[in-house]
Amino acid sequence: MITSRTAVVALSVASVSAMFLAGCSSDSGSGGGSGKIAFIQGVSGDEFYISMQCGIEAAAKDAGVTVDTQGPVKFDPTLQKPIVDSVVASRPSAILIAPTDVAAMQAPLEAASRAGIKVVLVDTTLEDPSIAVSSISSDNKGGGAEAFSAIERLSPAGGKVLVISTDPGVSTADARVEGFEEAVGANSAFDYLGVQYSHNDPAEAARLVSAALAKDPDIVGIFAANTFAAEGTATGVRQAGKQDQVKIVGFDAGPAQVKQLREGTVQALIAQQPGTIGTDGVEQAMAAIDDKPVTAEISTGFHVITADNIDGEGAQYVYKSSC
Amino acid sequence: MSNQTISPSLEPLPPGDRPSRHTFDLVESLGKLARVQVFQIVLVLAAICLVFSIMAPGSFPEWGNIRQIIQNVSILAVLGIGMTFVIVTSGIDLSVGSVLVFSGVVSAKTMAAIGGDGWGVAAVGIVVALGCGLCWGLLNGFLIGKAKVPPLIVTLGTLGGALGLSQVITGGVDIRDVPPVLVDTIGYGNLPATTIPLISSIALVLVVIFGIVLHRTKFGLYTFAVGSKEQSARRVGIKVDMHLVKIYALSGTLAGLAGILSLSQYGTTAIAGQSQTNLNVIAAVVIGGTSLFGGIGTMFGTVVGLFIPAVLQNGFVIVGVQPFWQQVAVGAVLIAAVYFDQRRRDAASRGQSSSSLKRLWSRSP
Repeated sequence: MITSRTAVVALSVASVSAMFLAGCSSDSGSGGGSGKIAFIQGVSGDEFYISMQCGIEAAAKDAGVTVDTQGPVKFDPTLQKPIVDSVVASRPSAILIAPTDVAAMQAPLEAASRAGIKVVLVDTTLEDPSIAVSSISSDNKGGGAEAFSAIERLSPAGGKVLVISTDPGVSTADARVEGFEEAVGANSAFDYLGVQYSHNDPAEAARLVSAALAKDPDIVGIFAANTFAAEGTATGVRQAGKQDQVKIVGFDAGPAQVKQLREGTVQALIAQQPGTIGTDGVEQAMAAIDDKPVTAEISTGFHVITADNIDGEGAQYVYKSSC
Repeated sequence: MSNQTISPSLEPLPPGDRPSRHTFDLVESLGKLARVQVFQIVLVLAAICLVFSIMAPGSFPEWGNIRQIIQNVSILAVLGIGMTFVIVTSGIDLSVGSVLVFSGVVSAKTMAAIGGDGWGVAAVGIVVALGCGLCWGLLNGFLIGKAKVPPLIVTLGTLGGALGLSQVITGGVDIRDVPPVLVDTIGYGNLPATTIPLISSIALVLVVIFGIVLHRTKFGLYTFAVGSKEQSARRVGIKVDMHLVKIYALSGTLAGLAGILSLSQYGTTAIAGQSQTNLNVIAAVVIGGTSLFGGIGTMFGTVVGLFIPAVLQNGFVIVGVQPFWQQVAVGAVLIAAVYFDQRRRDAASRGQSSSSLKRLWSRSP
């Protein structure tokens, strides 16, 4: 009777292998020509990446290719790597990706590049971006400096300022913090309390801000370096009841932040142009596929949205939560 | 000798009526085989593979794709070995993800402090990682085995403790200084002259070794005994407390090994990652047929259970389905696996066969 464990193991391994061997063919070296491109977000459910997706889908439609969007549930390279591997196996002509870690995603994207797939880095970058045909991101350092200018305008007298960022090692957030720190260093009226990391979790950001306000009750300004950090910072300030004293400048303009802007808890938002990053990305990808010249680095701009211009010219820069 | 008649079922059959050893009813054999739990899980995996192969024949069944699935499953497999032993003793180890991160962090710091690039430094790093995992494992084991604190609570505590200490040591900043020799050979290298990933070979060798330990040695037998009925194991003379210490030490050491493997594969300590690793490993072990209530389990089942979520995610991405569905599917498979296990145990304890699903709809208790 074949109920012994060895027999079960042998039979099952045989049946599964037979299935794979039946479909097995040699590793093909070419990338595609398949008329489809893939977009791998940094994290799914983030309005910044959803706006980028909208831009990419619109541009792809014009170029006549289909787009498949995938993203990890957390901004985490251990979650993004299997997705990259699976996307590479589906052999799109190009991958537009926001790498979640400059080091961890280097090897999987090199493998994609070797397989003939054109890689375009959008938003974040890698340690060695030469494997990609193009890197497109906002001028994050300038954005950080602009955020400090906004705080300067809101609190001309000076005082203590704090930065809430997401995770160290995220190239875009680090650049924003760097820009802010340089600007703060140049202005002696302001006292820089340092940067704290909220790990892309609004609840964590709220806790950090509450604790910081308990330690330094006279903080005049907080710069929140991304969407989730801004959400949590505003919550933390409200919980402490210090909306009038603390001026918050947030990076990224998702619907929740715009709501906070209208309510007055947040005073200014530095909006990137994710849609433009997306369309530029598709443009560069299509140029690479057609063997036309590409631009290795593109820097997109940002806009400052305040309560004054939110209903006017600022409205067009708000991020979308669906296409 | 008494004069009582033996009941009919115990009387030896007259020679002519005994079934011949050479008759082999194929249908009956397949029927029996299908009821073996592990084979049911393999059928589920085979069905999933078949569906995805039909939906994406050019991409899914390629060796390149399968190789990536196997490579990505390897670290979970190493963790799954320890988790199988732990769950067979009806315990649980939630701290594996954090111990992995901690071992990686301490190992990376040590290697950075020593400096240099070669295999000597890497070897020190590997030993340090194993040592860290062993320490956390011994701590878990001591608290569970000797201090009699429930495993869920102890490992929940060490989960927070290990992760917190990692963040204290690094200040929350990932260390990206991993000797290239580790990343190139273990992380992404293949076995010489093949395309089989080295990291998967390491995982496979460990799975086979510990599979033999679990199913063929006294250590494994004691593990099943402790999980099945701890009191009886004590009365028989098994040193249950020491055995539990050893089991959790094993789980911790394997988490340490997984830490150095993760460092090799990602080139960074990924402190913020690995948050769902412990639940993914537990789900894989349970899907594979190991009972959460202890006493039943197979190493082969764990391996199959690891592949099901990995293949589901890979297939969904290739086919272009929203990845959130993968979590829904894994949740459903997990609940189904535990339900069937529970039914099997209930039926076995009542001496009935568990083959009918009618019980689901019947009103009887």
